[in-house]
Amino acid sequence: MNIINYSGVTKRYKSWPRGNKVLALDDFSLQIEQGEVFGFLGPNGAGKSTALKMLLNFIFPDAGVVTLLGISVSDRRARALVGYLPENPYFYDYLTAEEILWFGGKASGLPKHKVQERSDMLLHRMGLLSSSKRPLRTYSKGMVQRAGLALSLVHDPDVVVLDEPMSGLDPIGRKLVGDLILELKSQGKTVFFSSHILTDVERFCDRAGIIVGGKLRLVGNLSDLLSGEGTLENVFMREVQAAGGGGAL
Amino acid sequence: MSMLWPIARITFKEGTRNRSFYGISLIALIMMGAAFLISGMVMRDVGKVAVDMALSTVSFAGLLLVLFVGIDLMAKDLDKRTIYMVLARPISRQQYIVGKFVGISLLIVVTVFLLSVFAAISISTIKWANPDYFPRFSWGPVFVAEAFIALSLSLLSALSFLFASFASTSFITLILTIISYIIGQSMSTVKTLVENPQTAGITVSPVTVKLVQVAYYLFPNLSLFDIKTQAAHGLAIPMTYIIWTLCYGIVYICLVIVFAAFLFRKKEFP
Repeated sequence: MNIINYSGVTKRYKSWPRGNKVLALDDFSLQIEQGEVFGFLGPNGAGKSTALKMLLNFIFPDAGVVTLLGISVSDRRARALVGYLPENPYFYDYLTAEEILWFGGKASGLPKHKVQERSDMLLHRMGLLSSSKRPLRTYSKGMVQRAGLALSLVHDPDVVVLDEPMSGLDPIGRKLVGDLILELKSQGKTVFFSSHILTDVERFCDRAGIIVGGKLRLVGNLSDLLSGEGTLENVFMREVQAAGGGGAL
Repeated sequence: MSMLWPIARITFKEGTRNRSFYGISLIALIMMGAAFLISGMVMRDVGKVAVDMALSTVSFAGLLLVLFVGIDLMAKDLDKRTIYMVLARPISRQQYIVGKFVGISLLIVVTVFLLSVFAAISISTIKWANPDYFPRFSWGPVFVAEAFIALSLSLLSALSFLFASFASTSFITLILTIISYIIGQSMSTVKTLVENPQTAGITVSPVTVKLVQVAYYLFPNLSLFDIKTQAAHGLAIPMTYIIWTLCYGIVYICLVIVFAAFLFRKKEFP
């Protein structure tokens, strides 16, 4: 069953002040099934973040359709199903991790006791319990990333969208995120994440896709992708070179 | 409605913990303290000076709050993309705008209330030391003046939301809000002047008159909310004036927020 569906999506950004349009996504179609861990690869500016942000309705497609469990992403109910970690997350400086998780839970419609229960569990899981009452401005980059992960999971979503989740993390943080992705997979959650770290994609994903210049160049099971070339790096380099070596932006 | 409260609450909390908030409160307290010294220096109308200074301090500190804390709360969401953590929830853009506005309005009301308590202490102390200078003093107009300050600041904050919904940077929002404040405070006087130039012995072109008239109806008339002079002179404020000004402020705020929410619906956050 397709839980995430992009169908013929095109997006152009208008550049200011000349008004030139830059193609970010070009007739992009992708389906991700329930329970899958999907790795989204591409060079900088290839259109990965644009595609992910469309799922949250931060960016609107010029053409095409994006749905989550058959619900258009423009319908706010779709966002109750999804947890999102942005690339380089930034939160309110003076709030604490406990407070942003309270917000995440309440704004997703969870009852008070459930918010408390999920919040305590996730803060413990992320190693933030002892610093949960400190303002987020005192956190290190890795701690902010972990607080962001906890926020994305507080409402127990069916789909987890992670934009560069390993970015800026030390080896311990990377292991924690990796273990979390595997745990989500074991719970039957769908994980859609972008990454530049090819070994992570090889370790955690069932399927992967490579986007270059706003076009999805390759998508398939990891075992199929690796069968000819041996490593994901070889496959990635081949696709980027075949596309002319550049990004869309 | 249940979605508005979480947004309003985190906005209010973030605002009260902002360092600028403490700085503004400190400035207000220093100005209230200065009122004691100044009232000791003036030889007459001590009561009017004391009330005018206390209300001006509340108004000035509130203006700083809207410009530097209120706009920052909105701007940070847009510039640093803290908005992602809000809009990634099942919250509509309209709910975001209204919830954020409720949070900032709550911050304004609480701040004006606290400053009003200090203003009351300041006025009471000066009144106690100089009872002869307060012959017609009444607390009623002072409280109405403070409530109007809170309402006019909420209106200004609503305008900053409108500007933020289309401006590309928070600096532009800040400049447009300051311009609106200046125009809103002075447009009524300017309109009277350009429509009756002979009273000041000047000539005004018909184009200028039209431009001023358009600006008068486009921008809120913030001078309506400024009744510091009446409060300082102990003049009673007619009930009809209070009701009409309240209605004007509330209707204007609703219209501006609805328009801001409409524009915000189409805004993208790449």
